[in-house]
Amino acid sequence: MTSAKLFGICLRISADRDAAEDILQEVYIKVWNRAGRFDSGRASPITWLCAIARNAAIDWRRASLRPGTVPEEAASTVADSALPADRVIERDQMCARLLDCIDQLQRGHGDAIRAAFLDGLTYAELADRMAVPLGTMKSWIRRGMQRLKECIGDG
Amino acid sequence: MAEVPLSAEERDGLVAELALGVLDGEERAAALRALMADPAFTPGLIEDWQRRLAPLYDEYTLVAPADTLWAGIAARIDDADAPREGALRQLRIWRAGAMIAGVAAASLALVLLFRPVPSSAPLPEPAAPVAIAQMTGAADGPVVLARFDPASGRLSLRASAVKPGALAPELWVIPPDGKPRSLGLIAANTDSQLPVEARLRAFMTEGATLAVTMEPVDGAPHAAPSSAPVASGKISLI
Repeated sequence: MTSAKLFGICLRISADRDAAEDILQEVYIKVWNRAGRFDSGRASPITWLCAIARNAAIDWRRASLRPGTVPEEAASTVADSALPADRVIERDQMCARLLDCIDQLQRGHGDAIRAAFLDGLTYAELADRMAVPLGTMKSWIRRGMQRLKECIGDG
Repeated sequence: MAEVPLSAEERDGLVAELALGVLDGEERAAALRALMADPAFTPGLIEDWQRRLAPLYDEYTLVAPADTLWAGIAARIDDADAPREGALRQLRIWRAGAMIAGVAAASLALVLLFRPVPSSAPLPEPAAPVAIAQMTGAADGPVVLARFDPASGRLSLRASAVKPGALAPELWVIPPDGKPRSLGLIAANTDSQLPVEARLRAFMTEGATLAVTMEPVDGAPHAAPSSAPVASGKISLI
């Protein structure tokens, strides 16, 4: 169910159940009222909705949370009510390479990129969580993303 | 700050950082300014990264939202229907969107076309996911947006770029059996609402196709289309 995927995104990034529900309402209102007109040549509707939810949750997080709040903790407290994960994202062959390519990165680089995407963390939050200097984190992300692009091989 | 034009390496780095979302505040604003001033930058570069990263959405756990979610949405849509409130709300959303999403939002083509048809009755509380579809055809052909609310059994439609003439746009739902069923004539180049007959509502589901053909007004709804669709698209449940 799409709403469970979108709520999962909002909850993990906001780490706050009430806020996540609020964010998800905003996401649906955006889509229903102002109607999302997505470019079907570029993304599946679900990917498009996921991106809207992630952006909205990151927006809330940056505006509301103090630095250092760790989303993982709150996410794990709701694990009991979580539904089994499934694959709701349609993939083409090129997309399927992403996870393989992340696994091929140096461990810190891959972990940092994953955390940045999934938890909506900034450079400063990433450096704090992984206990490395800010400059090191920036270099990990930049080099990691460059390698990822080369690995995926679409230019 | 970054020199303009940017080196390829610096441009790639900023694009990757924006797509990933690791920049915040002034750093983010500076990155956007630098890219905007760079002749070699296009929003497509960020879209490419969003496409590459999309498989990561699979890693989010599914968590069912509370049942109150839909009631909250219905109440807030009602609020937004008040004209002044609606305008203010749009401004707020635009500003919020500009602050956070910036280039990313623009590049996602969040073109916001489809406003609900004003209605004096309060919106029913959706009991099930709403179905949406975007029907398109030739590049200069009609674009029809559809939103079906199973709770009320009504379709909200917005049709644009329909060629004027003797024929009128007729909407069809095509379930997996491939046989088109007419949902009726729809208004050309404006918003309209269409009640869906009870026997056809079950067809309004994920993956079914909605299509528009140009048909004579007489005899509608017709048993079968007389011409090829000018626009079609698949239904997605949201």
